[in-house]
Amino acid sequence: MNVSMKGIVKSFGANNVLRQVDFSLHAGEICALLGENGAGKSTLMNILGGVLQADRGQIFLDGKEVVFHSPAQSLHAGIAFIHQELNLINDLPVYENMFIGREIRRFGGLIDHKEELRQTRELFSRMDIDIDPTALVSSLDASYKQIVEISRALMMRASVIIMDEPTTSLTDPEIQRVFDMLRTLKKQNVGVIFISHKLREVMEICDSYVVLRDGVAVSGGRVADTSIAQLAHDMVGHDVRTEALARSEATGEAVLRLEGLTQEPYYRDVSLTVRAGEVLGVTGLLGDGRSELFRTVFGDLIRYEGSIYWLGKPVRIRSTRQALTLGIGYLPRNRKENAIIKDMNILDNGSIVTLEKNARFGLISRKKQLEEFDRQRQELQIKMQRPEDSITSLSGGNQQKVVLAKWLSAAPRLLILDNPTQGVDVGAKEEIYDIILRLAQKGVAVVVLSNEAQEIIRVCARALVMYHGSVRAEVSGDTMNETNIMRLATGG
Amino acid sequence: MSETRKKESFLRRAADKWQSNPLFSTGLVLALMVILQTIALGFNYPSFGAWLTGWGKNWINILRNNAGVGIVALGMTFVIISGGIDLAVGSTLVAVGAVLMVLINGNPTGILTAAGITGLPAFLIGILAAVAVGCAIGTINGFLIARSKIPAFIATLGMMKICRSVTQQFMQTVGTKVPREFLAISNTKIGGEIILPILYWLLAAVILHIISRKTPFGRHVYAIGSNERAARLSGINVERVKALVYVLSGLLVAITAVIQVARIGSMDYANAGSGYEMDAIAAVVVGGTSMSGGKGSIVGTVLGMLIIAVMNNLLNLVGVPPFLREAFKGFIVVAAVLLQKKEKVS
Repeated sequence: MNVSMKGIVKSFGANNVLRQVDFSLHAGEICALLGENGAGKSTLMNILGGVLQADRGQIFLDGKEVVFHSPAQSLHAGIAFIHQELNLINDLPVYENMFIGREIRRFGGLIDHKEELRQTRELFSRMDIDIDPTALVSSLDASYKQIVEISRALMMRASVIIMDEPTTSLTDPEIQRVFDMLRTLKKQNVGVIFISHKLREVMEICDSYVVLRDGVAVSGGRVADTSIAQLAHDMVGHDVRTEALARSEATGEAVLRLEGLTQEPYYRDVSLTVRAGEVLGVTGLLGDGRSELFRTVFGDLIRYEGSIYWLGKPVRIRSTRQALTLGIGYLPRNRKENAIIKDMNILDNGSIVTLEKNARFGLISRKKQLEEFDRQRQELQIKMQRPEDSITSLSGGNQQKVVLAKWLSAAPRLLILDNPTQGVDVGAKEEIYDIILRLAQKGVAVVVLSNEAQEIIRVCARALVMYHGSVRAEVSGDTMNETNIMRLATGG
Repeated sequence: MSETRKKESFLRRAADKWQSNPLFSTGLVLALMVILQTIALGFNYPSFGAWLTGWGKNWINILRNNAGVGIVALGMTFVIISGGIDLAVGSTLVAVGAVLMVLINGNPTGILTAAGITGLPAFLIGILAAVAVGCAIGTINGFLIARSKIPAFIATLGMMKICRSVTQQFMQTVGTKVPREFLAISNTKIGGEIILPILYWLLAAVILHIISRKTPFGRHVYAIGSNERAARLSGINVERVKALVYVLSGLLVAITAVIQVARIGSMDYANAGSGYEMDAIAAVVVGGTSMSGGKGSIVGTVLGMLIIAVMNNLLNLVGVPPFLREAFKGFIVVAAVLLQKKEKVS
């Protein structure tokens, strides 16, 4: 089936997400849909998948105009959308998953397991799939789950399959397995839209590509006619170096050193050094393993191999408690799930790591607790009413500052900041950058993890780019620009 | 005109407070119960002094009868705030009581008596052993829950069955004759009344209140109950704190066992402490502690315990048959949680 989208326009309020986008896919073609976060890829595909409706524009299937009001309509027309979060029921066997919601029934309403199993076997043999249909989904690895989900789409007679970053959670052999499946699909004349950040994979598996930037299709064509560097450039759109903030190059002793650190399946063979007074950036795309790497350093993931040296001495970090005692601070990503204690007030949230320090004879000195918090509040300019108010009464930026305050009061020698400006408005963002640089000036070793290249360029003197669990390269000075970082992060 | 407005604003203020402070609503319910109970007790006394004495004696009875569950409920409060549950408290009570009995009973079956140790040294050893056993059972619960990640409900359900069953099997032949001097621990009269169990309860409540508000451990318990992930990523040793909560619960159960053995002078291994887990959970919940963890207070639990106790007394005074009283208890627990839900929505 040939798909053609013409002049698609979509805005959310004042935010124009798609402006006149054209997109087309031929039967049996694998087309990469590329772009940075927020470029409009998901919105475009949600329109094709019937999840959203376009403000203007037309969709044609084999030349006939269609209008989708719901995902069910789109699916009925033969378009299946496979989301990143797979939609399988782990505790049911594969063949039952194939028919969830559309079970084959016998007379009397009971499910006809025999027929479901037969149809599944038939499809699997036609597609060369080597999965036992009676196995529980939970027993399959991530790539096979992916394949089951694709098969289910085929069972529903899909002739176009949209895959949203299918390889992020897969290892290399698993990726190859999924790619084999895609090649089989191609032979069966099924079209695939492959949303991805990983340009190397795009070069390997895709026939054509479309790059979206700020809601416009800026380039497109045959993959054979382009290069990773060109695609990275198209995605970022400019070579401008975002102005870097003043930062001290002076670096002191090595606070943290990692040697050959490995924890499968997250990251492998990582070696790095962080010095007192420097801001080290670590960047990459979703699934690059940087968060897991530093969760290990903070004692949250403890089954690692390799060595960690703290102030030159080898240590085995087994708990977050131990990391805290060593002098490591860690501001996690996803503030709401990982950092905010919603039933506690601002003061408690801002001092939970220093309660012991501010206790005398085992009892917390409220006076000391308040003094300490007040100092941080002024330093970080937290906008709030009373320390006894609920933490949830604050804005995102101020909540983040409270979490920062708690770590600053612990006076760590190494502070790890994972996505420090997530869900924070522009003004507060700049303030947080400012705080990071001031910390470094005071001799704290700071590690900033971020998927925003601009952020890394702005605050870090040097940065490591990770790809699929390995450190790909170190960038600094001239090599630290968005195009280069994007190229490295996408595996180029 | 101004009268009604004043009334309205008073009501509004009360409503605001009701919503913002769970202790206020709990206290209000308790006050209402006490008024009804006072009326039910009647004023059929020759003088005010006689009425006051009668009223006071009734209260001492209520408090003394509930001191045991009251102390157990304090530990349960910590457990529930941490996000767990301890079903083993009632059975732990008999297990601890049994150990105490084996050690101090006056018959030749008493180990210490047989070894020639009697009097104060024997009592001290007995009490220390009781406390040790209570803490040990709590440690096992804590280990299973915090380290082996078994759901608290299951781990303590298992412990509940094991403790009572083993105790009953092995205590069939052991006498329950407690030396008279031991009874002084609970029965020494102060001001002509047996109020020591009440004072122990009060003391335990004050200490645990301070632990919950003023110590790092106490705050860590709240943090873990509210957001375990955030607590771990704040450098809190989640496993240790979670396990300690059950040790604390076991310790308080052991103290209760000592007080009760000293109070009654014997122990009925089949029935002692049975239903304590549910009564303690009821008190904790009526006192405004959230079953999902993170929220609650020791003061609330004491008030919750009192509400249930006073209601029981009230039902008794107005002649509701004993079988029906449990229904009222069930009703008030569900009503309390319904009210708390309402607070959250508005």
